[in-house]
Amino acid sequence: MTLRIDHVTKSFGATRAVDDVSLEIEAGEIVGLVGENGAGKTTLMRIVAAELAADAGTINVAPPPSAARTAGGGGATSIGFVHQHFMLVNDFTIAENLALATGALPREAEGIIAGSGIELRGVTRRARDLSVGEKSKLELIKAIARKPEVLILDEPTSVLTPYESDELFRVMRNIASEGTAVVFISHKVREVIEVATRVVVMRRGRVVVESAKMTAEELAAAMVDTPRGDFAPVTETRTGEIVAIVGVAGNGQRELADTYLREHPRARLGFIPEDRTRDGLVAEMSIAENVALVGDGRRTPQLIEQYSIRAKGPDQLAGALSGGNQQKVILARELDRAPELIVAAEPTRGLDIEATRFVHEQLRRAANRGAKIVLITSDLDEAFALADAIQVIYRGKLSERMTPGEASSRVAALMAGVA
Amino acid sequence: MKRALAAVAVSIALLWIVGIASGHADLLRVLVTGSIGSTFAIEGTLLKSVPLLLTGLAVVIAFRAGVWNIGGEGQFIAGALAAFVAAPLGTIVAIVASILAGALWASIASLMRAWRNAPEVLTTILLNFIGIELLGYCVNGPLQEASGKYPQSEAVAASLPQLGEIHAGVALALIAAIASWFLIYRTKEGLRLRATGFNPSAAHYAGINVNAQIARGMAISGGVAGLAGGIELLGVTHRLFERFAAGYGYSGIAVALLAQLHPLATIGAAAFFGALVTGAGELQRAANVSSSVATLGQAVVILVLILFGSMRSRTS
Repeated sequence: MTLRIDHVTKSFGATRAVDDVSLEIEAGEIVGLVGENGAGKTTLMRIVAAELAADAGTINVAPPPSAARTAGGGGATSIGFVHQHFMLVNDFTIAENLALATGALPREAEGIIAGSGIELRGVTRRARDLSVGEKSKLELIKAIARKPEVLILDEPTSVLTPYESDELFRVMRNIASEGTAVVFISHKVREVIEVATRVVVMRRGRVVVESAKMTAEELAAAMVDTPRGDFAPVTETRTGEIVAIVGVAGNGQRELADTYLREHPRARLGFIPEDRTRDGLVAEMSIAENVALVGDGRRTPQLIEQYSIRAKGPDQLAGALSGGNQQKVILARELDRAPELIVAAEPTRGLDIEATRFVHEQLRRAANRGAKIVLITSDLDEAFALADAIQVIYRGKLSERMTPGEASSRVAALMAGVA
Repeated sequence: MKRALAAVAVSIALLWIVGIASGHADLLRVLVTGSIGSTFAIEGTLLKSVPLLLTGLAVVIAFRAGVWNIGGEGQFIAGALAAFVAAPLGTIVAIVASILAGALWASIASLMRAWRNAPEVLTTILLNFIGIELLGYCVNGPLQEASGKYPQSEAVAASLPQLGEIHAGVALALIAAIASWFLIYRTKEGLRLRATGFNPSAAHYAGINVNAQIARGMAISGGVAGLAGGIELLGVTHRLFERFAAGYGYSGIAVALLAQLHPLATIGAAAFFGALVTGAGELQRAANVSSSVATLGQAVVILVLILFGSMRSRTS
């Protein structure tokens, strides 16, 4: 099977999201599709999955899929798409969600999960009660169970721990070896290098590089078109401290964050929730209104400027922003008030390199200003890059404080609960 | 806005076709002259529009907090009962009493939500039944007129100032509409109310006490519906009787839907339904067509509106 993308173009208003892209994807490949937020990766793949219509260009599959494979599949060519946002029925259990997606019976769920090679326990738990990492696994199992010819994964690792990511990569290699073409959308350079058999870099709607062999430096350089100058050195007059709480998703991180919310007046707490689309912003209200919910809405124009939020203006609906820009709005709103305590849960999930660096810099600055920062993260790189102290959360319990030096040798075991 | 106007146009066309098909070719003409064709007709339309505007606003406000307040009928009755009891103390006291009573009646639903997480859609509708029966008991018992002849009360002890047939409630209702708009879109309270309605989870993480916010929204909503009952008693009927609420609480839902849940658009939607009801009354007198054609028109408008809505969401 060959998936052929031929001169595809798609515009949203004045923005050309996908600009004359041609690409071929073969069965058994793992294509790493990388680029910054807003580069057009997701839009291109939504066109491939027939969720969006292209303005121009065609998508062809050769040879055409057999009837047997299309039956029960998603879309005409049996394309599985695991979205960055969850498409689960919240009130259904894991088993019911799987049954809904696959046409199997709920009691067959455990078999389906086992067959996918992904670990997910407790099939009678409702989707709403799952952690973000677990929800993302469930989405993946749903897609794999339909045995798609093309499997598209949009930022699947952004909510996974390193261990879970490795598990995911194993699953990806397995299903590629069985003849599925896998498209892996990501910003994480290291992961793409590790798992992809071919890398496609997009920038501002165009494919700028296509290569089977790239180093991390080459890839990172290809993604951004601005010169990657280093940030101004942060002054080392620390009065504040960043404590990183690391752990596998679903070990009580959300409950921990909620505790801070309960015990501190909201006005003096900076809070960046884990699930930004659900808990962070009101999509139906404007950026300014979302800022006004917690801070001073009149400062929105300055915040848009200062945090380089890509928006038409303070009155644009928050739901119309890209994920990265939504996160920047939350960050701007929470940090602008100069709170004494900042709780940031997975603050860089789904962000590209530049945006991640920006968030890290802002958190570092807030700490230097004297704020105490609790960074709840499943990204160990992030924890080690930022934290002055590290604690591991496992089954709702926190380990003792460790310096990053002490932590480096112990974190893995503590996270797995074998220490 | 466009969608609502189109729905109105389509339903008027349908009414016209129904008229022709049933041998009442002048059905539309009578509806129009009967609702806006004379001073008398316009007065009638205005008076019918006032309770519809207020019960419509009540639905809009609660919806903004994320709750379907189906209890306008019960809150309307609670407001009227309180206004009747408080009327000997003067008109202003009676009006204030009607607002408070409506708010309290709606707050019973909020209490049940806080206590056992009971959904307002159910509790408010059940409170309607209780309100209706309570009113029936009152006008057959403690509040029945001294002659004991009919199941109705004595004339109420106060009334709204009037200009011809038009009572001051028209102004109150318009003020309520503008005040609701201001509250929802121009105040911090309104911002929090809308955030709660759109995304209670995000509202919670923004530091809003979601249950308290919903309860406040419900109290305001109930207060407005109660005011409708007070105004109807003090300005139009001057007596309480069994079918006093006459479905205004439920019609408010249709008004709010036609207004696409915007407080200012509610004024236009209430005027349209008010005209429909008034015109249908004339239709019954002049052409012997049942006035339930108004209910039919109401239902058709809302159905067409919903149809347009689902068509739009499918094409986009």
